[in-house]
Formats: sequence, C-alpha cells, structure tokens
Amino acid sequence: MLASRSSAARSASRIARNFATVVDTAGVKVAAVDNGEPTSAVTFLVKAGSRFESKPGVAHALKGFAFKSTEKRSFLGTIREAELYGGVLSTSLTREHLALTAEFLRGDEPLFVDILSSFVKSAKYTRHELDEYVAPVCEAESTTAFSNPAVRALDLAHLLAFRTGLGSSPFTTPGTHVSVEDVKAYAQNAFTPGNLAVLGTGIDAATLQKLVEQSLGSLSGASTLSSSPSSYFGGETRIEAHGAPETIFIGFGTAGAPSAELAVLSAHLDPTPTIKWSKGLSPIAANLPAGVSVKSVLLPYSDAALYGIVIQGADTERVKEAGKVAVAALKAAGDLKGDDLKKAVAKAKFDAASALDGRDNVLFALGAQALGSPASLDSTISNLDKVTATAYHKAASSFLKAKPTYVAIGDIKRLPYADELGL
Amino acid sequence: MVLAGPLGPSLAPAILKNRGLYRWVKPIANWYADLSGYRKVGYKYDDLIMEERDDVQRAINRLTPREAYDRQFRLKQASHCSVLHDVLPKEKWTKAEEDVRYLKPHVESVEQEELERRAWDNMVVSKK
Repeated sequence: MLASRSSAARSASRIARNFATVVDTAGVKVAAVDNGEPTSAVTFLVKAGSRFESKPGVAHALKGFAFKSTEKRSFLGTIREAELYGGVLSTSLTREHLALTAEFLRGDEPLFVDILSSFVKSAKYTRHELDEYVAPVCEAESTTAFSNPAVRALDLAHLLAFRTGLGSSPFTTPGTHVSVEDVKAYAQNAFTPGNLAVLGTGIDAATLQKLVEQSLGSLSGASTLSSSPSSYFGGETRIEAHGAPETIFIGFGTAGAPSAELAVLSAHLDPTPTIKWSKGLSPIAANLPAGVSVKSVLLPYSDAALYGIVIQGADTERVKEAGKVAVAALKAAGDLKGDDLKKAVAKAKFDAASALDGRDNVLFALGAQALGSPASLDSTISNLDKVTATAYHKAASSFLKAKPTYVAIGDIKRLPYADELGL
Repeated sequence: MVLAGPLGPSLAPAILKNRGLYRWVKPIANWYADLSGYRKVGYKYDDLIMEERDDVQRAINRLTPREAYDRQFRLKQASHCSVLHDVLPKEKWTKAEEDVRYLKPHVESVEQEELERRAWDNMVVSKK
C-alpha cells in the first residue's frame, strides 16, 4: 500500500517536472514546478554573473545590494516584513548568473514576489548603503572565500583557463573600488526582461505568471551586457600561502558546450567512495598516499567547461606523490573500454539525475532551460547513453591533449611544478 | 520627534506652509542669519549642528569625500579665527547663497531610519 502510494507520488512528480514549460510573461521567462512541497520558492535568475561585469567586483556588489532599500521599502522594512511572514531571502552569484531567491510559506507569494521585483525594478543603490553594508560584506565574503585554498585555486584556474569572461571572479579582489554609479549602470543593463527568468518551485505556474505580469509588466529595455565567447588557454601559476593545507589543482578545459564524454571522464576519475570508509574504485583512489584529500571538480558553463582535480594535504611530499598518481590516472583515462566505460556512464547518469534532487538544483536546471541552455535532464541522460568507446576515446584524448591548467597554493618552494608531475 | 531630534525644534515647516507669513518672516530670518556671525568665520549653518551624537556622526559619514574635506577645512578655519579673536577678511565670509543645508538631508534620513526601526521594534502584530 505504502509502496504503491509512494511510487505513484514519484511518477506524479516526474510528470509535473516534465511539464514545467517556460512561458513568456511580459517579456520575462517564467517557469514553475509544483511538486506539492509545503513551502514555495521563487528565484529571479539574472544573466549577470561575473563573466558579464564591466569592472571587476561590480557583479559581487550588485549581489550585495539585493534586498537593500527600494522605492517601495526600506532595507529594514524588507527584512522585518520577510521575517514576519517567516520567509528566507537569499542571493547567490556564479560566473554566469545572479540568483535572488525567496523561500516562504504557501500563500505568501504576493509579498515575496513583490520584494524581489521591487529590487529588480526600483532599487535605490544609495552611496551610504554601499559604504555601510554592501562593501564590508563583499570584503568579508571574499576574504572568507579566498582563505580557503581550494576556492582560491579554482578561482585562479578559471583565470588561467579562460582569461577574460569566465576568468573574472565572482568575488571582489581586495583593493578594487566599485562606485555606486558602476553598480547602477550594471544593474540597469542586467535587469531587462530578456535577461531575466522567474522560476518557482512549490508554486502554481498560473499564479506566478499573474504576479510576474503585475509586478514586472513595466520592465523594459534590452540588455547590452555581453561576454566574449570563451576559449581555453591553460597555464601554470604558484601562490605563496601559509596556515592552510598545501593545495594543487590539475585541470583541463575546453570551449564549447560541455559534452557527455566529459561527464563520463569526471565520473570515472571521481575518487569519492560510494560506500563509507572504503577507498572507492577510481584509479586515483587506489594508489593515494594517506593524509591527502583528492576531489574532482567538473564545472560546466554555457559555452565552456573546466575539469580538474584538487589535491590537498598537510605534507608537500605526499601532495606531490598524489599529484603524480592523479596525472597518471588522467593520462590513462583516455582509454576506457568495456565494463569500465559502462561503470563510468552509469555513475555519470546517477550524478546527473541526483543533481536535480535539491530545490536549488531544480531551480538552476529550470533556469538553464529558461535562459536558453539546452541541458534538460532527459537529454543529458540520453546523451550519456549514446557514449561509445570510440567517441569517448576521441573526445577524452583531445581534451587531455590541451595545455593543462596547473595551480599550486601553499609552500611554493616545495610544491611540485607541472612538469615534475609529468604533465 | 522634533524636540529630541538632532536638528532641534523648528517653526520653519509651519511658516513655509503659510505664503504670507513666509514673505514677512524671510527678510528677518536673513537678517538674523547674517547677524549671528557664523558666516563671518566661514561657517555654513550645518556646521553648527551638534555633532556629538551617534545619528549625526552617521550622517557625517555619509558626506561625499569632498563635502567632508570642506567641512573639516571650515572647522579648522573657524577655530583659527577663534584663537586670533578675529573674523575672516570680508571676501572670505560665507555668502548667503553658499550657505546650503548640506548635512540636513543626511541627518533626516538617519533620523527616519531610527524612527522606522523603533516602529518595527514596537509593532503589534494582529491577525487579518
């Protein structure tokens, strides 16, 4: 009884997910999925990530300005009202998108859609808010993020791999000065109907469309934000750092939409064990020295992808040893046949599907669909099914033939150089 | 909160409302502002707002760097005059048209924020 009911619920949710069609409402793309969650979430996804910024740090400052004073409400009023209704307002910034999210109880959508849209439409961007709230928070966020060597390594890796565009960091680098006028100009360009997608989960699509039409109907203009198409460069850099684990990043990138073969390569090398306390079957995990953590990172973007391995450990010798293991595994990963390939494809399929589990991930998947990326779950999985040994071999070997991106952070006198690892 | 506010009590809003009264009072106000002598040491009226309070300090922090620098210069110049027991030469006096309320809008916005915070803090929630 219970089993049949839960499977019925699951198939119902799958149907709902499949029918999340993107509708143009007042020029803004709106998509909503209602899987019967007790709470609703609405996200305004704006194509205003750091790759579009005109000046370093502007995108981060714009993110900081979210939910500050607007023509309708003061900064304090926004927060107190959201608290009274028991909602959570949050923002996140990636290299491609700025997401403004409100999570709230069902039925409170008029207020929260209004809070989000009044920021988009009529934020004041006052100088004193920048000085008193936004700039200190941006600085603290950046300092915290960059104190983590893995984050710093990935940030530098993007810069080496893509230089401009995707190379620009979603964090403010210390010493950059952003003025209110910069933020205002950037926001004016970013908040245009064609650049914006409104995504809802746990909310009826028709309700959301009506609210968006009411609140964003008067939004006009065309975005002039642009970013040059990405191309991959690669390179090597070393940064001195102390008091944090010794970190190296070995990666490769590619321009063009991320392919299924790359996901398979990532799944094959991913050293995370499927069972707790085990070593995992990845070729990297098998020969790893103790006390070193290895993570594989696959970062797909709309027109490029970066894949890499982050190796961290307290001891430089062991990090070097692990780096050699990782490079050997990377080189061998071009030839993947039979069961190994099937295993990697299965793992990649599971990763792609389970990535849609959380609410944030559903929102981002919807957003990618709404803002024009072709990556729906069904197509991702069918593409993974189509991966053959020859296609994989061709894609992986050309991917691994490119110039590697190598970053070392920590004791740079002892950490290995790229050529010492055999890259 | 006019009485306890940083700007002190003022009849100006009431007078501004009445056109006839305003026309009658304005010359006297101008004469009084000139007579009170702060313009002779280079001050603007907003330099005289009592700044030893948190809200006015916050307002001062909201001045543009240029305004803050000029304010500091005027304070220095006036305290120098005070040491010399003298006023500035006549061409350095603040002209009536230069005597703008550069700080008042900031003080008012800080005050408004404080009042709003107080209102939210003491709010009573009722069910609709």
